[in-house]
Amino acid sequence: MNIAGLCALVITAAALLYIFYLPEEVYVGPKKTRAAYLRERKDVVYENLRDLNFEYKAGKVPDVDYQSLKSSLQDEAAMLLAEIARLEAAAMSKKTK
Amino acid sequence: MAFIGNFALYLAFALSVYSFAVGLVALVARGESAARLGETARRAGVAIFGAVALAAVALVVAAFRDDFTIAYIFHHSNRDLPSPYKFAVLWSGQEGSLLFWALLLSGYGFVLRLRYKTDPRLFAYASVVVAGVQVFFLALVNFAANPFGLLEGPLRPDGSGLNPLLQYPEMVIHPPMLYLGYVGFTVPFAFALGALIMKYPGEKWIHITRRWTMVTWGFLTCGIFLGAHWAYSVLGWGGYWGWDPVENASLMPWLVGTAFLHSVMMQEKRGMLKVWNVWLVFATFWLAILGTFLTRSGIISSVHAFAQSSIGSWFAYFLAITFAVFIFFFVKNKDHLRSEHKLEAIVSRESSFLFNNLLFLLLTLDVLWGTWFPKISELVQGNKVTVGAPFYNRVAIPVALLLLILTAVGPLLAWRKTSFESLKRNFAWPTLGAVAVMAFLMITPASWGSPFGLRPWQDISYFYSLMAIGLAVLVTLTVASEFYRGGRVISEKTGQGLFASMVQLTHRNTRRYGGYIVHFGVVVVIIGFAGAAFNQDKEMEMNYGDKMTIGPYTLVCRSYTDEEYPNYYTQWAVLDVYKNGKQIDTLTPERRFYKASQQTSTLPFVRSSLSEDLYLVYEGINQDNGHPILKAHLNPLVMWIWLGVWIILGGTALALVPNAQAAVRVPAPRLVEHAAPVATGD
Repeated sequence: MNIAGLCALVITAAALLYIFYLPEEVYVGPKKTRAAYLRERKDVVYENLRDLNFEYKAGKVPDVDYQSLKSSLQDEAAMLLAEIARLEAAAMSKKTK
Repeated sequence: MAFIGNFALYLAFALSVYSFAVGLVALVARGESAARLGETARRAGVAIFGAVALAAVALVVAAFRDDFTIAYIFHHSNRDLPSPYKFAVLWSGQEGSLLFWALLLSGYGFVLRLRYKTDPRLFAYASVVVAGVQVFFLALVNFAANPFGLLEGPLRPDGSGLNPLLQYPEMVIHPPMLYLGYVGFTVPFAFALGALIMKYPGEKWIHITRRWTMVTWGFLTCGIFLGAHWAYSVLGWGGYWGWDPVENASLMPWLVGTAFLHSVMMQEKRGMLKVWNVWLVFATFWLAILGTFLTRSGIISSVHAFAQSSIGSWFAYFLAITFAVFIFFFVKNKDHLRSEHKLEAIVSRESSFLFNNLLFLLLTLDVLWGTWFPKISELVQGNKVTVGAPFYNRVAIPVALLLLILTAVGPLLAWRKTSFESLKRNFAWPTLGAVAVMAFLMITPASWGSPFGLRPWQDISYFYSLMAIGLAVLVTLTVASEFYRGGRVISEKTGQGLFASMVQLTHRNTRRYGGYIVHFGVVVVIIGFAGAAFNQDKEMEMNYGDKMTIGPYTLVCRSYTDEEYPNYYTQWAVLDVYKNGKQIDTLTPERRFYKASQQTSTLPFVRSSLSEDLYLVYEGINQDNGHPILKAHLNPLVMWIWLGVWIILGGTALALVPNAQAAVRVPAPRLVEHAAPVATGD
């Protein structure tokens, strides 16, 4: 067998070893729940609120617009928080049972 | 080298098939064994990169060793080819460039699979989609366009040489940039399709996709403009964009990708346009593959296109399969893509993004139609109708101007709705500034040089130029006002200087302010385009001492000669350049004849300044008297285009930098005791 053939053999063996030798447990990560999704949404709404505050302070948004936009974002955040709280409470009671 | 190369390609193909098939099985199956199976598929995907890199290295080594037993090396290299171009042999021909494509795809796949801990399930889906695309490209280089095929017949002492048009420094970096752009769109597509298949709850996939798209978009932008600069510097016709089908092929995914980068914000911020965004990501990927099909199938004629070959049918099947797969899962899972909010007002940030997207799509359709029309007319009528710049410009220029208006207006509009009071507050001064500049340009004398003395009623191109410059000023002022207002808020709060505050502001929200810098870069590019309305050119046969005048310049022919180098013969002229009676430069336009490939190439000499380019081409010689024929172009504001691209790339890079943490208080939301459940999410 020539050197090129030997190299091919070694490379193939190394690749197979890398692919199939799994000494540790495979990382699968946490399962994405609805509560996790709602927390992501909450973060986005908070970020939108931060942006709105900043734009208001920068003088881009008139007072009337600011109050109305802030109020609708706060309502949205409140609904998210309420549902997160409900889901967490349900999860807790499931655990205690 | 051929043995090593072929072995590496077979290994890569086998790994990609394993990664795709076993990855698919692991996604369907459940339990610990499925997870372990999925892990082997992921690792096989990682290993593909090593195998394809080995094949690419083997091809480059073969080029450096002048291994003309390999047909590809014989056809695209020769012994006297300078080293950088021997490296560029990897992407200079059909087979090599497909291998290069497979290499970049495996590189992107490598990064994606190493970052799987971000969200293992989503990344597993994306990895399988990427593996599916890899199977196609690796099948192509193994069975249809193998770069390691051996040359038939006796061994030749020297190769045919590299295409002379490609023997230019920029060609060493232009194709890699363009391919990084084209290939990179596979990753957003993989995430979008993966998220659609698994009905991914939430918008995290779109955050990941957006970052990948920005990186890819940056590469494609760089590649497109490097191509334009190459065309300007090498092809010798005095322009940078000819609406060539291959140029169009790169522009189409760029346009749709740009639309996506805007509309993605609506999904992130408001949970809107989910269906639209999935389609945009798919269309961007699909158009990138369609562009490759155009370039490689020989279906269209272009200076950039590769030779006619049989791989066109492979691409046609691949395009059909990807379309069918996407449509299947879209129809199956489209209910998952319901919007969480509706458009509340016509004057809002959302509607500006919507109009922006519609305009980008209109432009894409115009380019798509123009690119395919010659082929369609040939099929329907039997004769090929040529579509030139006027066809494209008729739509592209007005649409580009409307986009410029939205670039100015969009960032100043509020999400949800914007009142008249807000419009007045944000637009009064920028609009006044833009109108003042336009009025100034109209009343100044034309003798001041371009772009002064713009009389829009004299010519439609002057009207477009005036509008472009006016709107460029409007965008610049709105961008400046965004930085100024934000900086002032921070300055008032922290007590630091305005400039330092603006820097801090940018660090706090790199995406937004990086985006504004990109907008400013676009403005600078548009000013460069606007200069085209004032282009001039002149052609003349010149003997010793002959003079040619163009604009403020006088060119005097000092001498002309020819020489021989190992790789080529050259003819060139020496011309002194005078401005206002004073010599300011000496130009040496050149024409080369490459020995190995027996092809001619023109090397124009360009004297660039911020106000204009003096562009000189050696057209050839008069066979009767041996005098050179020279053509001079005076192209105003071209340098602004290249400067603008640097600004765009700088803004893109900035937008990719993570935000610095800022301590800003958020008002506590009012708690709702019995709120209705929030839509979407499983």
